[in-house]
Amino acid sequence: MKSVKDHLMFLLPLLAILLGVEFFLVFDRVTKNYEEKLRQSYSILVVSEKVMSPKDFRRIDPHIARTDPIDKKTIAKEIARGMQNAADAEILAALPHFYNLHLDRYLSRSDVEKIRKKLLAVKGIKKVETFGENHRAKYNLFIFLKIIFWSFAGLMSLVSIFLVMKQMEVWQLAHRERMQIMEIFGAPMLLRSGVLFRMGIVDALLATGIAVSLFAVLRYYYAPISGIEILMDRQALLFEPRDAAILAGIALAIVIVAVLNVAIKSRERQE
Amino acid sequence: MANVIAASKLTLAYDNGRKEIIKNASFNVRKGEFVFITGPSGSGKSTLLKALYGALRPKEGTLTVGGLDMGRIGRGKLQELRTHLGIIFQDYKLINEWTVEKNVVLPLIIAGYSIDIQQTQAKKLLRHVKLTEQADRYPLELSGGEQQRVGVARALSKNPFLILADEPTGNLDEYSSNVIWDLMENACDQLGSTVVVVTHRIPTMFNIPYRHFIIESKGIYEVR
Repeated sequence: MKSVKDHLMFLLPLLAILLGVEFFLVFDRVTKNYEEKLRQSYSILVVSEKVMSPKDFRRIDPHIARTDPIDKKTIAKEIARGMQNAADAEILAALPHFYNLHLDRYLSRSDVEKIRKKLLAVKGIKKVETFGENHRAKYNLFIFLKIIFWSFAGLMSLVSIFLVMKQMEVWQLAHRERMQIMEIFGAPMLLRSGVLFRMGIVDALLATGIAVSLFAVLRYYYAPISGIEILMDRQALLFEPRDAAILAGIALAIVIVAVLNVAIKSRERQE
Repeated sequence: MANVIAASKLTLAYDNGRKEIIKNASFNVRKGEFVFITGPSGSGKSTLLKALYGALRPKEGTLTVGGLDMGRIGRGKLQELRTHLGIIFQDYKLINEWTVEKNVVLPLIIAGYSIDIQQTQAKKLLRHVKLTEQADRYPLELSGGEQQRVGVARALSKNPFLILADEPTGNLDEYSSNVIWDLMENACDQLGSTVVVVTHRIPTMFNIPYRHFIIESKGIYEVR
């Protein structure tokens, strides 16, 4: 019973830290994915009197990743449809050039505004229209939720680290005498702390297993039926196999630091 | 014969050198000798023993154990040296969560001996200290005398070249004390170990030759 309690006292805070880390990874992926989606659907329309090449636009701002010229004939046809005697050729000749610009990443409102001003400052560019404002409110809400969640996960991890430290003190009290006796007889640090390492590694693997299982279940069983568009489309956002390696690495690192801390504190002080 | 212990103008102190316990002492112990160190309480007997197993560094002078300078020895070398020592404490210093058998073979576990060798040696030693029946019991289930016999068996388990004993019979009745002294005599006489015993009182019936040092007024003097 005591042994189970000893394990739980270390395993639970460790699990809380790993869940915090995994939530962090998931939110980070979801945010990046959402940003990518926004970036793809985001464009700037430029109306110019002169012909401009992609290089010209990139020179104006390096964030302009792609330039799609809009076919003037399509626009001319649209205009001609409402006019009885207008000739397509005349309209075509009178029309300026239209470009759809795509950015390399999703930029903030102020950055987009800077690009807009740069474009308008170019001789020949008559009009610049930015789209995507309807996404902005959703995106800002998303970023706000992310910050709130990161703060919560950070706080949870901090409390858990304190609990791990408390448990280390318990370990130190429980194992100090044994470790000191072993040291008197010449046992190296790794042998003296072998029991703690074994216990810690078992707990680390258990905590990793629980955290990984939880998110794997969410990915494979919950996401497909969740009704949440972003999760249904991109189930991999909830869990990637490399997360297991990251969580195991973090759990083992915590165990190593915790056990070495106990071993060093229990070491004989030479006078 | 080679010196196992050599001290020259040795000063030992606590509190970062402020409180001197032994000052300017010189003595040698040769291989295979049995040495008693006596003196009043607080005279520095246990302090000297601590210095011999490297828990206290000399403040001044030199102290060598098995040819190693205890003033300059590094952690690694000290660990190595300790695996060749047998140390016995008045308070036994047994690991209470381990069985008697596992306690006895602690030096073999540290040295990485196989389980087979550990078990064979444990059986032999427990028979030697008359604790065969108690092999699977835990230290706190034994009497003080029995616990000290476990401590002696542990000290002998790897045939150490030097046995250091701090008041090994201090808390024991006469019967248990005699058993302990017999074991220590055997270790010196038959196994050839050098034995240094710190004690209040030398046993009246002691069957092998020994040297006797006394610690007094911070000095170490040979009286026999």
